[in-house]
Amino acid sequence: MAPPTTAGRAGNNLHLSLGNSRTLLDRVLTLLAIGLSLFALFPLLSVLYMLLVRGGELLSPSLFTELTPGAGMEGGGIGNAVLGTLIVVLIASVLSLPLGLLAAIYLAEYAGESKLGTLVRFAGKVLTGMPSILAGVFAYALVVVTMGSFSALAGGVAMSVLMVPTVMLTAEQALRAVPEKMRMAALGMGATRMETTLRVVVPTALPGILTGVMLALARAAGETAPLLFTALFSDYWFEGRLGSPIASLAVLIYNFSGSPFPHLVKLAWAASLILVFLVLVLNVGAQLIIRRPQEF
Amino acid sequence: MRHLDRSVRTLFALLSLTLMLMAGCKKGAPEGSGAPATGSEATPAKAAEPSTVTLQGSGASFPAPLYSRWFREFSTKNPHIRVNYQATGSGAGIKAFTAGQTDFGASDSAMTDEELKQAHGNVVLLPMTAGHIVLAYNLPDVKVLKLSRDAYAGIFLGEITNWNDPRIASENPGVKLPATAITPVNRSDGSGTTFVFTQHLSAISEKWKKGPGTGKSVNWPAKAAVGGAKNDGVAALVQRTPGAIGYIEYVFAATSNQPTAMLQNKAGKYVAPTPEAAAAALSHVELPADLRAWVTDPEGDDSYPIATYTWLLAKKKYGDKTKADSIKALLKWCLGDGQALSKELHYLPLPANVTEKVQKAAETIE
Repeated sequence: MAPPTTAGRAGNNLHLSLGNSRTLLDRVLTLLAIGLSLFALFPLLSVLYMLLVRGGELLSPSLFTELTPGAGMEGGGIGNAVLGTLIVVLIASVLSLPLGLLAAIYLAEYAGESKLGTLVRFAGKVLTGMPSILAGVFAYALVVVTMGSFSALAGGVAMSVLMVPTVMLTAEQALRAVPEKMRMAALGMGATRMETTLRVVVPTALPGILTGVMLALARAAGETAPLLFTALFSDYWFEGRLGSPIASLAVLIYNFSGSPFPHLVKLAWAASLILVFLVLVLNVGAQLIIRRPQEF
Repeated sequence: MRHLDRSVRTLFALLSLTLMLMAGCKKGAPEGSGAPATGSEATPAKAAEPSTVTLQGSGASFPAPLYSRWFREFSTKNPHIRVNYQATGSGAGIKAFTAGQTDFGASDSAMTDEELKQAHGNVVLLPMTAGHIVLAYNLPDVKVLKLSRDAYAGIFLGEITNWNDPRIASENPGVKLPATAITPVNRSDGSGTTFVFTQHLSAISEKWKKGPGTGKSVNWPAKAAVGGAKNDGVAALVQRTPGAIGYIEYVFAATSNQPTAMLQNKAGKYVAPTPEAAAAALSHVELPADLRAWVTDPEGDDSYPIATYTWLLAKKKYGDKTKADSIKALLKWCLGDGQALSKELHYLPLPANVTEKVQKAAETIE
């Protein structure tokens, strides 16, 4: 950034003026960098602004307590979709977290650079880049076709496919960041390898692991494509049956945004605002976990 | 350290528990929800009332707003029957219905003989409502636009490329048509609306029939043609492109007050796309026994030329009495009291003689 101005006053020939071509270049480039950084923020800020203006219009408690209305009806809310999104994300977490975390522990602590480890890591990286609609196709074939109906469970499976690689790779990174000395110390004090992993390495890496989990959750919650033909949508409250279709915010936005009825379009804006808010909370939560000073 | 040990141990206990639960679920699920039947046997869940019946449907997006409204109103009157409908498109709706993933389907193009064969004849096709397709245009100074059969076929064929073309001007005396280039807007996604529109174009133009033909998506011959996703995408493109013209469902033009063209019908008359004119078109088509009828090019002086029925697909035999009774009650209500809602949502109520026929067909469901 800007050179220390005291240097100029301190004496000799080190004075600072815009007449100097190098100083001028430095200032110009700094300003350019700041300007472009702000420009990069522009899309996010403009989206947030539009969401607040257009989605904020319908914000009220009844938005969360009422069911989606039919076409041409006034009032109603998006309660079933908010609840549905939370439930699908919960199902996805139950399915993907054990798998992703255990895989990460295997990769970081046991596999090393073995062939299997490299293969799993490579597969995970490929999976993170996979278009989300393919996760939907996978869940459709695995759950919808075999069970014979669209279901909340199928939606959860589709999302868990998206979550597993993110959870696995970030958790592995977090585990690897634990200093080798701590493992040595634990082993040196007579702990077994399993005890070392479970009582020393995992607790140390926990903030990093949680960050990965929250980022994976945030990504999954915003996905529409994998839910379209797995969880479908439901105009009713969730009744505790994982085998029937379920509402979600993402699919609600998809359905209502193209509606000819203005009230439904407004609800889609409100749903977008809520969804972005949910994702933002998860992201900010992840940031806070990273920043929290560790006990070790 | 010590409290962390414990929390980690609990964490792992929880993890292994969920894993075990998952294994249990996987085993239990197929039997439990294999038949997407009367809620009670779906999953032994806490809140499920044994008497509630859930009917699941998916398919055409064109009637979706009306269906969702119908089913909502019906459920309010009959709280023990829940009907859930999701717009996935006609093709996907037919597939899901044939595969038994849904209790009923919906399609803008009924079902082809091939599709009927795949369903092993266990289908009743029921026209539930009808709608019409309008040509919305963007010419700021033109309030009334008349398009002859040759003109609108020519526009979408790419033969007429300018608004002041004599083939348009000759039918619009006194209207100052600009020299703007025409941008025909079509659907970029597969759509029942495209099917109905191209079916009509094939009926009125040999050239169209031999060229792009009829389909849910076709090769649009006009060089200037652009595609928009779904009805709202086409409507938005027309709204912001001067000189554009596109086909959309009437409801999208009606709720946004977009100007629409008067079209020349088979009798040679120019008809504005009012619901009355579209209803007149339907009245000139006799429904056959299987209730599959396409209004490709209706007769009558007052008929608007592009209109269509839309069908609900129900099973002939459900093999489940409560389910069959529920769907019969639902259909009866939709064809009766429900028809009044059609008009409010810019659909066409079915003529009385048609509802009678459809009711009879619905009665045969077992």
